[in-house]
Amino acid sequence: MKAIVIFLAVTVCALRPVYANTCAGSEDQLRSVSKLLSRGDTVGAERSLEALQASHPNCDELILDRARLQAAKGDDAADETFVHYTTLEPRDAEGWGYLARYLLAQEAYQRADAAASLATDCGPGDAVAMAVKGQILDLKGESQEGIALLEQAIRLDPDDAETRFQLGGIYDRSLHPKQAVQYFAEVVAINPFDARAWDYLALNLEPLGEIDRAQQAYARGLSENRQGSYFDAFLPYNYGRFLMKRNQLSASREQLDRAVVLTPQVRAVWYERARLNVRLQNLEQARTDAEKAASIDDPQGVIADLQIYVLLEQVYSRLGETALARKYAELSRVTPSPVKNEMDRTH
Amino acid sequence: MVVVLSLTCLIPELAAQDASAIKFVNRQKSSGVEFVLDNYPTENKPVIDSVLGGVALLDYDNDGYLDIFFTNGATIPALTKDGPRFYNRLYHNNHDGTFTDVTEKAGLRGEGYSMGVAAADYDNDGWTDLYVTGVNRNFLYHNNGDGTFTDVTAHAGVPAITAAGKKLWSVSAAWVDYDNDGLLDLFVNSYLDWTPQNNRVCGPVGQRLSCHPNLYDGQPSFLYHNNGDGTFTDVSAAMGISQHIGKGMGIAIADYNGDGWMDIFVANDKMANFLFRNRGGGRGFDEVGMESFVAFNDDGLAISNMGVDFRDWNNDGLPGLFVTALDGETFPLFRNEGNGLFSTDDYKAGIGFQSMRMSGWGAGIYDFDNDGFKDLFSANSHVNVITDPESQHQYRQSNKVFQNMHNGTFQDVSSGAGPDLQVRAPHRGAAFGDLNNDGKIDVVVSVIGGPPEILYNTSPSRNHWISIQTVGVKSNRDGIGTRIKIVGESGLTQYNHVTTAGSYASSSDPRVHFGLGKDSTIREIELRWPSGKVQTLHNVKADRILKITEE
Repeated sequence: MKAIVIFLAVTVCALRPVYANTCAGSEDQLRSVSKLLSRGDTVGAERSLEALQASHPNCDELILDRARLQAAKGDDAADETFVHYTTLEPRDAEGWGYLARYLLAQEAYQRADAAASLATDCGPGDAVAMAVKGQILDLKGESQEGIALLEQAIRLDPDDAETRFQLGGIYDRSLHPKQAVQYFAEVVAINPFDARAWDYLALNLEPLGEIDRAQQAYARGLSENRQGSYFDAFLPYNYGRFLMKRNQLSASREQLDRAVVLTPQVRAVWYERARLNVRLQNLEQARTDAEKAASIDDPQGVIADLQIYVLLEQVYSRLGETALARKYAELSRVTPSPVKNEMDRTH
Repeated sequence: MVVVLSLTCLIPELAAQDASAIKFVNRQKSSGVEFVLDNYPTENKPVIDSVLGGVALLDYDNDGYLDIFFTNGATIPALTKDGPRFYNRLYHNNHDGTFTDVTEKAGLRGEGYSMGVAAADYDNDGWTDLYVTGVNRNFLYHNNGDGTFTDVTAHAGVPAITAAGKKLWSVSAAWVDYDNDGLLDLFVNSYLDWTPQNNRVCGPVGQRLSCHPNLYDGQPSFLYHNNGDGTFTDVSAAMGISQHIGKGMGIAIADYNGDGWMDIFVANDKMANFLFRNRGGGRGFDEVGMESFVAFNDDGLAISNMGVDFRDWNNDGLPGLFVTALDGETFPLFRNEGNGLFSTDDYKAGIGFQSMRMSGWGAGIYDFDNDGFKDLFSANSHVNVITDPESQHQYRQSNKVFQNMHNGTFQDVSSGAGPDLQVRAPHRGAAFGDLNNDGKIDVVVSVIGGPPEILYNTSPSRNHWISIQTVGVKSNRDGIGTRIKIVGESGLTQYNHVTTAGSYASSSDPRVHFGLGKDSTIREIELRWPSGKVQTLHNVKADRILKITEE
């Protein structure tokens, strides 16, 4: 399979462009659009693109920027537009790189892998090509190599917030909040519209004890949380949990109510709202929420079965329903506690 | 009969006083205490080498001053104390801030890889005895009353060996009169099913880690009934204890449901905690950790519970639980609701976020500033020797004190508690007591690979206090299990009980201390003895150690 991809890459990179590319004279504006897109300023980027479209209607690079804009706005047409561009400009590493990045976000991993390979083969020194390759290496379990490439990509293109986001994500998943905070803070400094980054920033500030900063990050993320590629469906859930820990129960309620609407298929949101309702002594509502959580599978193990049983036992005990309380107490006794890592105690 | 002991000198206070401040000074260097907790570190880091460090404060010679006993490690894998570096040590308090090593005279150097200690007068002869736990040997030392102790383990029948002949790894022990017959019984918890032969090695070469407890099976605890003749009977099965397999670290006792019978909490490592509710009358225990909501943390997960204390921290008359754990887990604070249930209040009380980055062992609920509200103390360190300075899991950590804000919340005031509380070290056990009888609770903390920290409480407040030393007559002589309620002249009402158990693998001052704030007189002291007797004193002057004999 790899041989086929390499063959394709060599063939593709050797192809001549199909259409004449008349972008001459628009280089500064194109760089400006690219920067606006990297910073998440879709409004500014769209305005500039429209102007460029009028002045340089046959400039193929505008197609790439339009694809990036569509991706940022969560428009499904982005896929087709990316493909259109890479057909027109098959030697452009950046085109393949942005396509790969888009496909990774869509969880189309096989296509992403192929596009990323084409990107690095057409332009091994291209920042986006390097970044997506780094992202894919991390997905394949080669995190150290992935980090090295992502860091190199940042040096080549300091304005690329998304590369920093990916680095932050690696550190977040490996439970290194200090490093994660560094990168997510850089993301939001470049692209303040990235609600996901604000969410991750807050999540990683918490274990560092920076509680006030975490709250500010959550609140800011909430204000930026619009539909598009930066939208974070879990932000209300994370913020709601945090507010409960801060004993701001009404505010927590507001967020968790939003969370169950946004992600009703997720066990964790119902579990958390159930816990809040126990604290608020809304026991009937807590029962409904806890039972709902119990009815949803959680293959990723965010909320383990044991946690559900423990919560249900508490709810039923407080409601005076002793038989059900006993049932869940026994289930709690026989259900093993989830273990993230059997080998060490560093969590 | 009430005997009032004389006032002692107050330690001179430091300048720049904040009346609400809690402060400690480590006086180990001038104390003469040269003990070093030696865990015998080896290349492959067996799990036993990170969980030792019990400390006891006891007055072994009845001179009115607390002495200090330290447990120590041994060689690995032989588990032998092959030289003085591994001896357990007893230090006599010279009353002047110095201590003298009397281990050899006392006969307490010990054997095996020791873990914890529990001090109490089990035979009611007026002299405090010692029970020392360990990986491969447990010992009961009878205090002969002349500065020496005798190993009576075999005669007493308390070796922590199963009927099948297997010695279980013991960490903590607690003296408790579970059947109120006037004799102290012994509860000994068990940790992991570990031997040098089944030892697991975790982590890469050069960066070995303490293996996760999930890699080992748990063990049942022991309950020994005191027969009153120097012997004990293993009643673990009959009393409903040994049916419950745990990975026990800390133990604390209290009568949590006010029925007159002492209950037992066991902090288990990475599994559900146990709350053994006493049925009373020697009829045994029911394990109700799940049913009482103290089995797991606020997220419904089993965490790495280590130390624990079990006292009334919000003056509602109901003992609650403070438990230490590893960083990322927070330290659970269980509030007793009075209906058999507890709620997990760590975030509500303000210590959730504060403890998130801490790993704790020794734990205490004591009033350090004598304002009438008990504070929290944790002796901190991670379990793993992490050398990566970028890692957020730090091996060496500073101890912490959380000041009670009188409204159900606590504030971490450690940064203002003096430079000696900023010291980062691998802390383990902590024993609490008034070393110099100045009315302020001091703390002795063991440190792996180093000398202990002898933290004298130098809090500047001039708040009043009282310490109550109970002498049982029909009840056990130490008065362990006696529940005490005091009402200050302002009306401030507080509750506590007599116990030496609690913290991590350690044993604390049996005298019950109360801070009184501005109250120089106590309107009423009520004692509910384990025998059932209720004794009341009125209009008691503050600022003294008050010996109260049961009548």
